Amino acid sequence: MSDTARLYDVRYSRYAGDREPRWRGVLALARSSATRALGVRRTRGAKVWPFLLVVCAHLPAVAALGIPLLFDDAPPPLELVSYVDLLMIITPVLVAFAATTLPSLLTRERRDRVLSLYFSTAMSPGEYLAGKALAAVALMSLVTLSPLLVLLVGSIVTADAPLDLVRDYAGHVVPVLAGGAVVALYFAALGLLAGSLTAKRLFAVGGLLAVLLVTPVVSGLVATLSDRPEIFAGDLAFAPLRAASTVLPLGDFGEDDGMEQPPDGLVWAVVGGVVLLAAVVLPLRYRTRDDA
Amino acid sequence: MSTSALACTGLVKSFGDVRALDGVTVDVTAPATGLLGANGAGKSTLMKLALGLLAPDDGEVRVLGLDAATDRAQIRARVGYMPEHACLPTDMSAQDLCIHLARLRGLPRRDALRRASEVLFAVGLEEERHRLVDTYSLGMRQRAKLAQALVHGPDLVVLDEPTSGLDPAGRAEMLSILRHLSRDLGIQVLLSSHVLEDVERTCDEVVVLSSGRVTAQQPVAARDSAGPVVVQVTGDASTFAAGLRARDVPADADGGRVRLAAATPAALTAVRDLAAETGVGVLSLVDAANALEDAVVGAMR
Repeated sequence: MSDTARLYDVRYSRYAGDREPRWRGVLALARSSATRALGVRRTRGAKVWPFLLVVCAHLPAVAALGIPLLFDDAPPPLELVSYVDLLMIITPVLVAFAATTLPSLLTRERRDRVLSLYFSTAMSPGEYLAGKALAAVALMSLVTLSPLLVLLVGSIVTADAPLDLVRDYAGHVVPVLAGGAVVALYFAALGLLAGSLTAKRLFAVGGLLAVLLVTPVVSGLVATLSDRPEIFAGDLAFAPLRAASTVLPLGDFGEDDGMEQPPDGLVWAVVGGVVLLAAVVLPLRYRTRDDA
Repeated sequence: MSTSALACTGLVKSFGDVRALDGVTVDVTAPATGLLGANGAGKSTLMKLALGLLAPDDGEVRVLGLDAATDRAQIRARVGYMPEHACLPTDMSAQDLCIHLARLRGLPRRDALRRASEVLFAVGLEEERHRLVDTYSLGMRQRAKLAQALVHGPDLVVLDEPTSGLDPAGRAEMLSILRHLSRDLGIQVLLSSHVLEDVERTCDEVVVLSSGRVTAQQPVAARDSAGPVVVQVTGDASTFAAGLRARDVPADADGGRVRLAAATPAALTAVRDLAAETGVGVLSLVDAANALEDAVVGAMR
């Protein structure tokens, strides 16, 4: 037996376990970013606004489902509110949610100067942006895709003969997913673009709100006065809705107003252009890795 | 000898007209190495190049034997970084922050939880780990920064001015933790500082940068308590030295000071007795072998 004793600190040791593939790190960033944006594990005050908007985004769909249950002679939910109508009704909520939630996905970390830590020891700028893009799309899906799915699934579940409706509405699933994804992707791109341009959340929120509130007014005025409907395509708040309406079943954008709409191709070009602009600008903004 | 933590060859980096690094060639292999230099000497630039936060204009950087330009993912997995500037999300707790960064660095969730607890205990933040970083004192923030740098079990930690802004007690504790890293846990440490004492207490080797060039690289030798000393006296130094020699203590007058070859107990007793007998005042008695300080000061000029 040795006459010398050795003391081991068992509370700290070198890590010798396995590392997960890099995409798990990207998913971890997306998850933590999305939950922080919703105020999860933060103060109560930080949770109120995002959750309020998420609830507001679902209210029209829930109301459309509830009315036929309360009144026997009421038409079925999808005749009360089509998918396009639903997105039109909640567009102010989408704008508010995108403007107040998405830019902070990027501004907060630039403000806190965490980027040099991330890029030196955790992940590449590409992985970082991938994580943030996933978080932004997931957040926007909560207020775009989710209400559409609530309306679709709720219409089937609350019907007198659900199985018949499953057959009738089976063809809606892919268009609803596609339409919701287009709107989510568009606002995610716009929100991240605004957030990447400044470290100050207030500037990013203000800038994004200005774009989303001013362009509908300006393009609407110019299009009406000049009688050139293609100028409506410059309305950056409703552009994704116009694009989504080309794939969503049951109704088109603006059909009730009787106003002529811009060509579908132009609308898709605007939506694609915004997403492409974000895809070009974001990597450029994170080319410099040092935030010190 | 340890693996080369940092090896640079002909490293050049300019910012506009200012040449921050001017052909730096250095091989850092000691368990703990201090980067010393005045403000603007190029310490932070060298660290950022090693961490991949900047790209060199010319030359090559290898970190843990890996090419800093092409092997970034492998380097990220094996390196921890504690920046000088505030870099912690203020709306997270230290526990959440460590788990978050461990997950981003590829640790499975369960391991991330365990490691976060371990490192927060190791840096003395276990009691405060659930508090928001925003409510931490500067010392606690420094500890949290160190904890996140260690949570994934790096082979090398890069520390930029780790004692910056700490009070004396906090500084002593931080230095003790840093020494523990390289000595007991086998983690290579690269520490940037402009405080020589911090480097002496925590490092095995020092690299001195001045105006973007490496001007000195030498080991930090442990001080010999019985090594040569220099005595400054109020009277004539030659007479005092002769008095010591008469008591069989090897001593020479060096300018206005007396140099003793060895600070043995007998020699120190002789200094005390001679000073008392002759009425000479002893102004100072200091380690003569402060070669590091002399070399660093010389290299920084």
